[in-house]
Amino acid sequence: MQKSYPKLVTSTALCLWLVVSQSSAARADIRIGSLSALTGPAADLVKQVFAAEQAAIDEINSAGGILGQQATLISADTACNAQVGVDAANKLVNVEQVAAIVGGTCSGETIPAASNVAGPAGVLMVSPVSTSPEITKLDDKGVLFRVVPSDNFQGIYMARMLLSKGITKVALTYVNNDYGVGLAEAFRTAYLAGGGTIAGDSVHEDKKESYRAELATLAGGGAQTLVLFAIGDSSGLTIMRQSLESGLFEKFAVADGMKVSALLDGIGAENLEGRIIGSVPTAAVGPQSDRFKELYGHTDKFTFGYTFTAQGYDAAMITALAIEKAGSTDRRAILNAVRDVANAPGEVVGPGDWAKAVQLIKAGKDINYSGAAGDHEFDENGDIEGVFAEWTVKSGEVVVSPAVALGR
Amino acid sequence: MEIFVGYGNYTIALATMIGIYSIMALGLNIQWGLTGLFNLGIAGFFAVGAYASAILTTSETPKHIGGFDLPVVLAWPLAMIAAAFIAWAVARICIRLRADYLAIATIGIGEILRLIFKNEQWATGGTRGISNISRPFEQLPGIWAPLAFLGVVLILAMVAYWLAERGRTSPWGRVVQAIRDNEPAARAAGKNVETFRIQGFVIGSAFMGLAGALTAHYFKFVGPEATDPLQVTFLVWVMLIVGGNGSNRGAMLGAAVIWTMWSASELFSSRLSGDWAHRAPFVRLFLVGLILQIMLQYFPDGLMPRQRQITARLPRKPTIDQPQSSHILPPF
Repeated sequence: MQKSYPKLVTSTALCLWLVVSQSSAARADIRIGSLSALTGPAADLVKQVFAAEQAAIDEINSAGGILGQQATLISADTACNAQVGVDAANKLVNVEQVAAIVGGTCSGETIPAASNVAGPAGVLMVSPVSTSPEITKLDDKGVLFRVVPSDNFQGIYMARMLLSKGITKVALTYVNNDYGVGLAEAFRTAYLAGGGTIAGDSVHEDKKESYRAELATLAGGGAQTLVLFAIGDSSGLTIMRQSLESGLFEKFAVADGMKVSALLDGIGAENLEGRIIGSVPTAAVGPQSDRFKELYGHTDKFTFGYTFTAQGYDAAMITALAIEKAGSTDRRAILNAVRDVANAPGEVVGPGDWAKAVQLIKAGKDINYSGAAGDHEFDENGDIEGVFAEWTVKSGEVVVSPAVALGR
Repeated sequence: MEIFVGYGNYTIALATMIGIYSIMALGLNIQWGLTGLFNLGIAGFFAVGAYASAILTTSETPKHIGGFDLPVVLAWPLAMIAAAFIAWAVARICIRLRADYLAIATIGIGEILRLIFKNEQWATGGTRGISNISRPFEQLPGIWAPLAFLGVVLILAMVAYWLAERGRTSPWGRVVQAIRDNEPAARAAGKNVETFRIQGFVIGSAFMGLAGALTAHYFKFVGPEATDPLQVTFLVWVMLIVGGNGSNRGAMLGAAVIWTMWSASELFSSRLSGDWAHRAPFVRLFLVGLILQIMLQYFPDGLMPRQRQITARLPRKPTIDQPQSSHILPPF
């Protein structure tokens, strides 16, 4: 053992030198961190979101870069977990010295990373995925923004949508994580207050082989419509397939987590025809999202249409625009610039408009980024308004109706 | 200049986590290293401590039970007592189980505890967890806030080490080690084996509860994700095995080595580009597994093997001496 100490010391020194030299060599670039749960339970989803963030950064670089310099996106894995998330945020903020952070993903990592690391250091965080209502009132010193609406809003929208269609009796099942529970809570309150009846209400664990027992219990209440809050390539797919197989429910009311191609492929669009109604935060309507589809609909950068990829792209764009607007990598200035670039008034810029946006900023004009997944008007908590659209499957394709703004 | 402040901050964060993990590794060392109790439910006792302290110190809110507003000096001991009490109840039932059966039982108990915290929304906030937990010294300016908290953690880790070391060298420590090495012999010597094993289990679990409480206050948040068995149970086992099972100093060294490696390896892997950036995080898990394998194969006693001062003074019998480490390897 004794002999190997010099070796150990040498290799440690070498490693340290490598880190220091690499990080100082790369310092000339604009460094943006990405807090992403690349491992852990949400790895499949986050992989796509991260790829969309990277696509935005690549697009920016090919259109001239941020402040005339190339931008690099440095990923740090959070494993969907508080310990690893805080450690990752510490590395990004302190060692990598990033200008701002895109992320985090799971709310369970975003909350401690913002309140423990990014908040005290004053580093901007723009989350593309964290939907927990806890984030609204979090003591984050104003650093945490998100481009997804809190689950509270979507639950209320779903309740109103179903009631307006005359569906007054439903069964409810939701996945047992902050996404499912948050949606279900808001939906339940609003639906009952609006005069609806919930016949059968149960939570389910993700990634089980069979949900037949739960489904039988839910159908026992006599409801024809199943409200299903889950992710479309996980428990959502299994539940929908198994209830169609046994003919337990006529219709399905779902949220944005189910609007994934895996659902159409897995069940077959013809089986879903007229049987599914869903809500989705304003995506896929308007010129900005058409442009987004034009840019990325047929590339292999990420699976187009995958849940939260449009939000990932937007989060990276808003972060980059804030740095451009701030004029330097000063963290405080970046933080102050977010609302300038994302909120009205100002000339609207969207996906693919990086060069134009830079010109406008240089000319001293106010801009208003309106992205692939929505308008992104941040309120005082860094949340966005719930603006939703209804979607369904018609002649084998997902059809999205015009968006509806949901007042507070 | 900024970069040095950054490295300073990162080092403080790294040391804080090492301190917290050290306390858990010391607790596991009391259970497995000294008493020979195979506890795979560390995450459960960690969660009891974390949630207990979070509930006791937060102010009134409709999201979970609470409103006690206790200061941490009271809440932390209470969190330890809560973890110890649960451990006592568990131990009363399953302490007689042999090592591998106890392992199975504790996996189950750990998961039950975690699922209770995840699902009892009225008490724990359910999947949303408990946020806005206060952290001692957080109002200090700049770098002093994390530094002061690090000081608290390190002092507690040193106290935990001192207690564990005192316990190990005391008559109590000799009895539990005798039980670990040869239970019938200890029983024949008139020792109440069950009582000593329960004591070992409860004390170790109280340490884990304290680590949970420290984590909750450090993150200012506790949720079901924070009690992930991979991050808590598995990593702590690796720390103890790498550091040296049965040795308190080894447990702390193991915590330092494994956490530093876990954390710092990403500084390299995040520099990979393209598709490798997605894959590199998984390499970290692979790396920990690989280290575990190498240690178990070639250095089963760990980096800092346990001292054998109890038997060292006795003259060695010329019989075949079984290597002492062979029977204390965990069955994975």
